[in-house]
Amino acid sequence: MSATIPWSAGVSAPFVRRYPSAVKMTETATELIEVDSDQDIISRVIAGDRDAFATLIGRYSDPLYRHALGMTGSPDVAEDILQTSFIKAYHHLTEVRGRFDAWLFRIVANGCKDWLKNIRRTHLSYDEDDQPSGFASPDEDLDRTELRSDLDSALSQLAPSLREAFIMKHVEGRSYEEMADLLGTTVGALKMRVHRAREALQALLEEKYA
Amino acid sequence: MLESHEAHDGRNDLGLNNEHRDVAGDRQTGDRPQADRSLADREVPVPGSLAAQGGSPAAINQWLDGDVTEADARRADSKQVDMWKLVATETERRKRMVTPAYVAANIMAALPEKTLATQASASLATATTTAVASENERGLSMNAAVAIGAGLFALGLLVGKLIF
Repeated sequence: MSATIPWSAGVSAPFVRRYPSAVKMTETATELIEVDSDQDIISRVIAGDRDAFATLIGRYSDPLYRHALGMTGSPDVAEDILQTSFIKAYHHLTEVRGRFDAWLFRIVANGCKDWLKNIRRTHLSYDEDDQPSGFASPDEDLDRTELRSDLDSALSQLAPSLREAFIMKHVEGRSYEEMADLLGTTVGALKMRVHRAREALQALLEEKYA
Repeated sequence: MLESHEAHDGRNDLGLNNEHRDVAGDRQTGDRPQADRSLADREVPVPGSLAAQGGSPAAINQWLDGDVTEADARRADSKQVDMWKLVATETERRKRMVTPAYVAANIMAALPEKTLATQASASLATATTTAVASENERGLSMNAAVAIGAGLFALGLLVGKLIF
């Protein structure tokens, strides 16, 4: 079962970019798109179509991977958190109430926070745990700038809530409204967190870069 | 906020509270007196900080939030604008990062072969078996009580006959 949504009915281009596998253009491509809703897919998985779960992975793994990578600073850890979170989500699909993406985001976000809380290493840069994965273009793997390392180092010094807000805003490119929706707090509170994160990063980076 | 985000108490095995943890966490924090919260937990500019002073940091934040133009931000602090544009080259690159393909394959490979519906049926069957066993146990206890009662009654009759 799928829902046909008029292009003009508020489906944004970022949504299509973020979830390309969820979007199938019809003959009147500029007018209509067809999207299998998360709930439809979940129903299929619960009914026995295990492979349908791959659609949910394809739909949400990239933004969640970027979140985990931004929070932990380690590709290996980010992959582990992502895998664990999706597997947990699969086993508890029957418990999903409300929006699946928000529910899944919270599992991943809490996985990141648990890792940050438990790890003894408080600073882990890409250079220390360098894995050639995750960049859209192979050329980018080769372009390891000092800025990248310095930014990682600075981010690792932020409180988890500030780092989370900065990553969601500047790396995941989410709006304040979307962030508020996912984190269950207010736009004003999140603006303040992002501003404070920028302030802290500015203090850490300005001597070298400003 | 921070403390409740990281709290383990009351979480289920997904790391979530039954009522969405982040929502509850923030609301709970809101109920706590300001003095009880850690510095990092307060959603107000720290006195003496750059943000609290207003001026150029405010303009930079407004520019980064898309509220004012770059020219406006440059008038406030040109060096900061250059620094944030440099940072943006890195954050923009990270925005294009994608999940390695093998991660999805690993996740699918780790999922159990039996379906969730089967798992639910198995759970139901286990629960039913447990309930039946419990019922049987209760039945046994009742039988034992009746036997003991009958035995005591017979013993009472015997003792009564011996005495009278």
